Amino acid sequence: MSLRQILLVLKREYITRIRSKAFILATLLIPLGMVVFFGIVVGISLWDSDTEQTIGIADRTEVLYPRLQEIASERYQNLSDLAEDSLQALVQGEEIDGFIVLEETHIEGQKDPEYISSGSGGLKLQNTLRTDLREVIRNERLARADVSEDVQKIYESDITLTTTKLTESGEETEDDTGFLTIVGFIMGAIIFGAISGYGGLITRSVIEEKTNRIIEVIASSVKPIELLFGKLAGIGALALTQMTFWIASLLGFAAAAGPLAGIFLSEQMSNMPETAQTAQAPQGIDPEMFSIPAIETSLIIYFAIFFILGYLIYASIFAAIGSAVDSEADTQQYVLPVMVPIFVAYIIMFQTMNNPDGTLSVIGSLIPFCTPIVMITRIAITDVPFWQISLSILLMIGTFLGTMWLSAKIYSVGILSYGKSTNWKELMKWVRQG
Amino acid sequence: MAVIEVKNISKSFGDTRAVDNVSFEIPKGRIFGLLGPNGAGKTTAIRIINHILIADSGTVTINGYPVSSKTQSMIGYMPEERGLYKKMRVGEQLIYLAQLKGLSYEESKKKIRYWLDRFEAAAWFDKKVGELSKGMSQKIQFIATIAHNPDIYIFDEPFSGLDPINSEMLKEIVIELRDNGNTILFSTHRMEQVEQMCDDICLFNNGKAVLNGKLREIKQRYGKNTINIEFEGDDAFLDELQDVRINNRSANYAEIRVLNGQSMQEILKKAMNHAEIYKFERVEPSLTEIFISTVGEDNINPKELS
Repeated sequence: MSLRQILLVLKREYITRIRSKAFILATLLIPLGMVVFFGIVVGISLWDSDTEQTIGIADRTEVLYPRLQEIASERYQNLSDLAEDSLQALVQGEEIDGFIVLEETHIEGQKDPEYISSGSGGLKLQNTLRTDLREVIRNERLARADVSEDVQKIYESDITLTTTKLTESGEETEDDTGFLTIVGFIMGAIIFGAISGYGGLITRSVIEEKTNRIIEVIASSVKPIELLFGKLAGIGALALTQMTFWIASLLGFAAAAGPLAGIFLSEQMSNMPETAQTAQAPQGIDPEMFSIPAIETSLIIYFAIFFILGYLIYASIFAAIGSAVDSEADTQQYVLPVMVPIFVAYIIMFQTMNNPDGTLSVIGSLIPFCTPIVMITRIAITDVPFWQISLSILLMIGTFLGTMWLSAKIYSVGILSYGKSTNWKELMKWVRQG
Repeated sequence: MAVIEVKNISKSFGDTRAVDNVSFEIPKGRIFGLLGPNGAGKTTAIRIINHILIADSGTVTINGYPVSSKTQSMIGYMPEERGLYKKMRVGEQLIYLAQLKGLSYEESKKKIRYWLDRFEAAAWFDKKVGELSKGMSQKIQFIATIAHNPDIYIFDEPFSGLDPINSEMLKEIVIELRDNGNTILFSTHRMEQVEQMCDDICLFNNGKAVLNGKLREIKQRYGKNTINIEFEGDDAFLDELQDVRINNRSANYAEIRVLNGQSMQEILKKAMNHAEIYKFERVEPSLTEIFISTVGEDNINPKELS
């Protein structure tokens, strides 16, 4: 194998793509698209929470409605004067979303309240109603039972959980599990997207050389294995360039966003009366409050390792697929079985986010075809034993050598067979022949 | 000394023997024609010589070296299936291909400039290949084949798909290359094209080399056993002739191969009785005729010889 030829191929693959308008646009637009997407998701949830349902309350006890009004006056409408059939008419006329008739028996605990509506209103509403009713009924009971103030306080107590993570060196750090889960998810999703995206790019690039009929000219100068390595490395370099750009702009954005928010808020503070300022925030607002928690360097290194190994394993398979077919439309029968482990890994990843040390996550992170996606999510969230990480890396290297060997055989025969797409049976023949 | 030496090569794909124990030698400074119908194994043999395919058995040497990556750069190869990267510019693409053949960037650039000038195509240097017309990209393909200045040139079916101007240009280039001491191998299934150009030929049929040698000697060996006749009138008399084989027949022309010592004078008499004769000439057989008489009429599909 000649390094010179591989480098020449690598350079061509890299340069012709990196300056193409499609690549530049995609590099700029994909993060923008993601920002817009998240914006829409957040926007929808904000806008959605504003649309309140109106629930009619027919309070026969005369004590419960005032309590409900205290909790959420805009949600509960006092319709105690109306009879049940007029309430039903209001629901059918869509003037209210539903109604509840509250009676003495509910306070005494002999009967559960009933919510009557034209539609369930969703799980969230049911949940809210249950919580609100539980609270008002409990408070009313407490009031009637005439218990001491101490007992009442016990019922009012509200618990939030603060979490602290103990590292191996023994120091206590603030636990960022929530944040790290998101980081793990994003990293897994990026690897998932990159493997499918760049895999497709490789398949298309191999098919293009076949349909352009340039391949035989190239094959008379370069060994198929050199061409294959050059192609994988060139497109891999392209992928790394894109990732570096995205991560750098993300970090830059995050680094700029924290202090900017801090400056903005402290300016507002300084406009406040001096007394309030000194009392509440002697040093202004600490910009640290708005910066994202730190991502460990080791996590970024692991991300690079799993990204590259995962890319290599799948890229070698996708190159073989490209050489076995004559047009992109024919790739389906081969691409589908290859995509299965990627999707399985993606699904396992969601389980991993909840339970990073569960059996499914551990096994998934050790299966080489799923490792890149599952393992990086685990590493981000939890402390994965070093032997598992090393084993998964070794298994991936072994798998890559296997897929590369197989792919090189298929590729060297496939690139010269034009005009027809191959079936599985013939593919096996190529492997034996190559 | 033979520049290309092919010894007993065989290559099978599954159950098909594409090339079956073929041997031939190509001496330096000659134009060598590899002839035969489609599917006879010419392209497979050429790919083995180019080290794109590896023979199952047998050896090929180029300038005395067994075929390898090294011998690839001694050859300029234009495959039957031609193509270029459509999105790359003409100049950078040609430089890339020349670099793959071992030239440095500077050398390649100089050579490419020279050839683009020579083909009056210097203005295309920064154009994308996809923007060129078919004729123009054919010229670029020639330059890609010859730019690294090898001393062996292999063209697989070079005239298929060429427009007449490029076809003529290619002929001139081939002759010029030969006159400068280079060696040329080309394959074709159109026999009449090579008659004027080839010094040596090798006839392929069903993966076997059935005839091999200097074109002139082969023709002389057959003697002047063929009649070219031009006439005006009813051509039904041609069907009445016995012990002949008629090739290239049209309304007022025929190429008659005389078999089994049939008298040519008798044929002339018969022709005169039925039509007005413009021309009656004893000649050496055409390559098509030689091919048919070598492999036997029953062993070829006449449609494959056009």
